[in-house]
Amino acid sequence: MKKSNKNLLLVIFLGIVVCLPFLLDDYWLHVAILTLFYVIMASSWNLLAGYTGQVSFAHAAFAAIGAYISGILSVQMSISPLITLLFGSVIAAIFGLGLGLLCLKMGGIYLSLTTLGFSEIVHIIIKNEYEITRGTMGLEVPNLLGFYSKTAYFYIMLLVTFIIIFFLAKLIKSDHGLKFKSVLNDELAASSIGIDTVKVRVIAFTISSAIAGFAGGLYGHYLLLITPEMSSLSQMFMILAMTIIGGMGTLSGPIAGAVFLQVLSEYIRIFGKFHLLLFGVISLLVIKFAPGGIVGLYRKITQSKTDPLKIETQSKYDY
Amino acid sequence: MSSLFVNIFNGIVIGTIYALSALGISLILGAMNVMNFAHGEFYIFGAYFSYFFSRSLGFSPLIAILLSLGLIFWIGFLVEKTLIHSTYGNLMDSLIITFILSIVLQNIALIIFGPYPKKPPSWIIGSINVLDLFYYSSQRLITFIVAVLLLILFFIVMNKTWFGKIVRAISADREVASLMGINCDKVNSFSFGFGVALAGVAGAIISPIFGVTPMGGVGIGLTSVVVVVLGGMGSFKGCVIGGLLLGIIENIGVAYISSGYRNIFGFIILILILLFRPSGLFGTTIK
Amino acid sequence: MWKLKGENISKSFGGVTALKEVNFGIKEGEIVGLIGPNGAGKTTLFNVVAGVYRPDKGSIYLDDENVTNLNSHQLCRKGIARTFQIPRPFPELTCLENIMVSIIGREEKIHNSNEKLKEAKKFLKFVDLDNYGNILAKNLNLIQKKRLEVARALATNPKIMLLDEVFAGLNNTEIRDAVKLIERMKNEFEITQFWIEHVMGVIMEIAERIIVLDNGEKISEGKPIEVARDPKVIEAYLGDTDV
Repeated sequence: MKKSNKNLLLVIFLGIVVCLPFLLDDYWLHVAILTLFYVIMASSWNLLAGYTGQVSFAHAAFAAIGAYISGILSVQMSISPLITLLFGSVIAAIFGLGLGLLCLKMGGIYLSLTTLGFSEIVHIIIKNEYEITRGTMGLEVPNLLGFYSKTAYFYIMLLVTFIIIFFLAKLIKSDHGLKFKSVLNDELAASSIGIDTVKVRVIAFTISSAIAGFAGGLYGHYLLLITPEMSSLSQMFMILAMTIIGGMGTLSGPIAGAVFLQVLSEYIRIFGKFHLLLFGVISLLVIKFAPGGIVGLYRKITQSKTDPLKIETQSKYDY
Repeated sequence: MSSLFVNIFNGIVIGTIYALSALGISLILGAMNVMNFAHGEFYIFGAYFSYFFSRSLGFSPLIAILLSLGLIFWIGFLVEKTLIHSTYGNLMDSLIITFILSIVLQNIALIIFGPYPKKPPSWIIGSINVLDLFYYSSQRLITFIVAVLLLILFFIVMNKTWFGKIVRAISADREVASLMGINCDKVNSFSFGFGVALAGVAGAIISPIFGVTPMGGVGIGLTSVVVVVLGGMGSFKGCVIGGLLLGIIENIGVAYISSGYRNIFGFIILILILLFRPSGLFGTTIK
Repeated sequence: MWKLKGENISKSFGGVTALKEVNFGIKEGEIVGLIGPNGAGKTTLFNVVAGVYRPDKGSIYLDDENVTNLNSHQLCRKGIARTFQIPRPFPELTCLENIMVSIIGREEKIHNSNEKLKEAKKFLKFVDLDNYGNILAKNLNLIQKKRLEVARALATNPKIMLLDEVFAGLNNTEIRDAVKLIERMKNEFEITQFWIEHVMGVIMEIAERIIVLDNGEKISEGKPIEVARDPKVIEAYLGDTDV
């Protein structure tokens, strides 16, 4: 597709997104806000899995850490959520850094199993430390703005999503992004040409944890009631499924996946208890038959007529 | 004092169950280089099938367990053929696929069997006086004996049969094994079936005591992985000792600290191992 | 006086000895060949020198500095570059990006992107891949992959280059091209070269000195002509059915 066409499409798409509060009713605006949360979560998880090849199962747990830290601080110390939000993100980043340093030296399996364990532990602690977290009852947290407006919250979420996507796009196109991709492609070869692979992974892991923590806090101050469900493995699974169904290792994939699954879950509401199962089956089918996800399929359709050897490079270095 | 004995003995009983399940993970990891995150779900399905065959179809407990064992083996075999096979050499794909599989299986269990615990019938009732120290439930004792017999059977299979020898050869060195003309692919489906069947049988024999819920596999799956790391990846002996150790530590921890934190002890151990002895008690780190 | 020196290097894997008390030295600007039959421990020695494995015993010195315990990427920044027996370019990156990674990984950073681009193109041109800049590395053929890997290693600005079986899988014409490339590498970049070659062929003409390994031990060392006549070497190679 021509570059100008692509830009035009992008502008139209953004235009529609910005106008959403005027097009949607209250309920669907709520869905749109949730979708934006998932867009951030899936995009930041994709930075790990899609660009550095690390499968973390603690992404939802980091969001829960962000939400609970921010919530608890704002409730108990009456600090403005605008400030506690940052605390939540920083604490999530610190946990990310610690976990990263602990297990990234030892390679893929260890990261996955440690993050899975960590995520279970966060879930258990939130459930059990009733006096601080209110357990399964859920913790009531103040509104970010001090007043309740879905439209305002939608624009805040949208702005944050833009900033994060823009940041991720810049990061991936930067020299750091190239390092990430070299580690994803071949760790041994990357270290043989001077790339500190452990450091690269720890950086990616910390950045993604910080983003998850921030998104979690933002989400919590919108929901006004946060529950241990935030850190559950089902929540983690949603993030993973969105990334895979949308297309891992691409910028637009997680966005497409998050929108697709959120809208789909609204339409299959009547089959409530089947939807995780359905998403699981869809993800397995996608991995098996269309590993590039929605974005991969789209590219296959639009690029099939052109020279297969010619590809669109993602980095800024073009010959 | 007798409560301490009971706790330790409870730990040993559950420890043999952990060991069985962990041996399954270790076998799959060694033979196929796949970390099976859906292991716990095969464990709960082992229990559910045994529940189904005994409660709903009225088979005797032993037959129910054997039927459930066979069924889990075949499901594992088919799962390997359809899902896992294409991921060889790609660790990330196998991690993601087995994780998704675990969610899918949990939800299938939820839909079929509902959210409440299900319990297959006990094999035996009453309790036994152990050396005049404490009374112990007969069901637990017999579960323990069966688990130990299964562990012994596992080691016989691994040491005496062609399958065991091939799997050990592949685990030791995949390249050399393939040079020796061993077809790793053929062994794979069988190993996966066998590995998950170990989890299934562990679930089937312990469920008359604890019952089974759709989410019950998460904890056991995670614990089994911790046992494998604790014992040392690649070491079967490590799985048994690691399983017993973890079982005892957890039970003492639960008794004296809090039952809500059962799974936390395993995780603390995991972090300590990663910090101080990544190769575990008896193993080597794998790359 | 040694550019790179290894002292008493031993390494074993699970009871199998791969290297036993190996000593070697390479002078500045020299081209040294490392030969030996299959399983002699050549690649293991390379991996120890390049920091992939830690030796069980022994030390490695680069310009008299002990570098035994450094990681791969640290050694690379000190000036040791390598290629692999089976080439491992980053398959999903373009040729240009492959080289760019080396330039980014350097100790002395280039900050201007145009400069970086110019630098990367220089190395692509050096290995005649300048028409392939935007092609993904996975689409190259074997010889192109090998050339790309050489360029990628060169782009780290090494002092010394470890080359693992550059000629494996190449036909005679391709070997002649590769020899030219090696010579240009010596002349244009003044790089000290340490080479593995399985077959005693071309390497005997290019290398100034040859080290022979067999069963993890050094059995001979010297000028190519001397080594070729050494009865121990002949015996070692006679046992090897591949030659």
